[in-house]
Amino acid sequence: MIIRNSFLAILSSQPAHGYSLKSSFEASTGGAWRLNAGQVYSTLSRLERDGLIQAADDDIPERRPWQLTDEGQAALSTWYETPVDNRSTRDELVIKVLVAVAAGERDMERVLQTQRSATMRRLQELTRSKMEMPDSELPELLLLDARILRAEAEVRWLDQCEQRLRPTWQGAAS
Amino acid sequence: MSIPTAPTLALVGASRLHGEGPQAVRALGPVSLEIFAGELVAIMGPSGSGKSTLLALAGALDRPTEGRVLIEGKDLSRLSLAELASLRRRVIGFVFQDLNLLPGLTAIENVALPLELDGCALEEARGRALEELERVGLRDLANRFPDNLSGGEQQRVAIARAFVGPRHLLLADEPTGALDSVTGESVMRLLKSQCARGRTVVLVTHDAAHAAWADRVLFLRDGEIVDETIAESKLPRTVSRDP
Repeated sequence: MIIRNSFLAILSSQPAHGYSLKSSFEASTGGAWRLNAGQVYSTLSRLERDGLIQAADDDIPERRPWQLTDEGQAALSTWYETPVDNRSTRDELVIKVLVAVAAGERDMERVLQTQRSATMRRLQELTRSKMEMPDSELPELLLLDARILRAEAEVRWLDQCEQRLRPTWQGAAS
Repeated sequence: MSIPTAPTLALVGASRLHGEGPQAVRALGPVSLEIFAGELVAIMGPSGSGKSTLLALAGALDRPTEGRVLIEGKDLSRLSLAELASLRRRVIGFVFQDLNLLPGLTAIENVALPLELDGCALEEARGRALEELERVGLRDLANRFPDNLSGGEQQRVAIARAFVGPRHLLLADEPTGALDSVTGESVMRLLKSQCARGRTVVLVTHDAAHAAWADRVLFLRDGEIVDETIAESKLPRTVSRDP
């Protein structure tokens, strides 16, 4: 659905061919998401089937660019107006920690510290990339900000886990 | 044959205990670490893990119960009080979360103060202070009083003061703690650029995103360093897709 809606968004600025939709999508995501030709054409054929896009009038039928229909414009507006539901219940790290706690893992300190180290290193790498990025590269910068904030949230969550679990493992040691 | 350079800061088996005998509380240690010129090192850890104690030992504000603290190869326990005071004036600068500046002095007067206290002539002290303010991007605000500066600008002035003249080791305790995240980030960027000039920064922070600006992040728990993450070489120009 993200690719489908993103194509509608790109087409809302101007008609475009499949290849330029692919390039625009990849550029707007800061290179974070590459598409293959198959994904592009299957998405376009579904959009056409659903009446959300149509081929623009042009001299050469097989080279006609795609454009939004009124229904496509309405679908795009609905997407913009609908908040993204990011509540992931299957975050692997969260599940791993919960399962380890439930299983009475004795060395939770090590489990948490190993993850903390890895996430901290990742945060340092992301920050290194940010240091070198000119402010003009907006999509990349916004993408890095998102990744940095997520990594930071993970470190904070691990810190909180440690704080909450600490009394239990100190009790176990004595 | 090259002569190895002494670390700017070294702790060798340094501990700090409060009280004596079985009632003694271990605030820190034993901790050993070496920090070299040009490094930016962050220290993280939960409350009570010994972060501020480590900084106090490093800044010669407190003495270790056991072990040694060396600044540029000099064992602090062998220095006289006068020599320690001189070290604090000429080598070490401090920046805290807030209340860094004297409210009755302008930015330039605040920055010039350590030089004046060290016997530097007024005009020369002001000249060097202005140079340092220029480096932190605040030349135009040199004559403002702290009250007329934003929180981020005040921290920049504090950083200028910490590095004015010959000072080159900055010890900072939560320097971004009172700032919003974008302003905090600009302070980290400034500290990073100071390190690129060969200066050294040791910073205590609870903020992982700010700590990530450091070359090394040390993690303290119960007074001991339990982890250290080192920034790897830069990521490739194009970031890869998340799994």
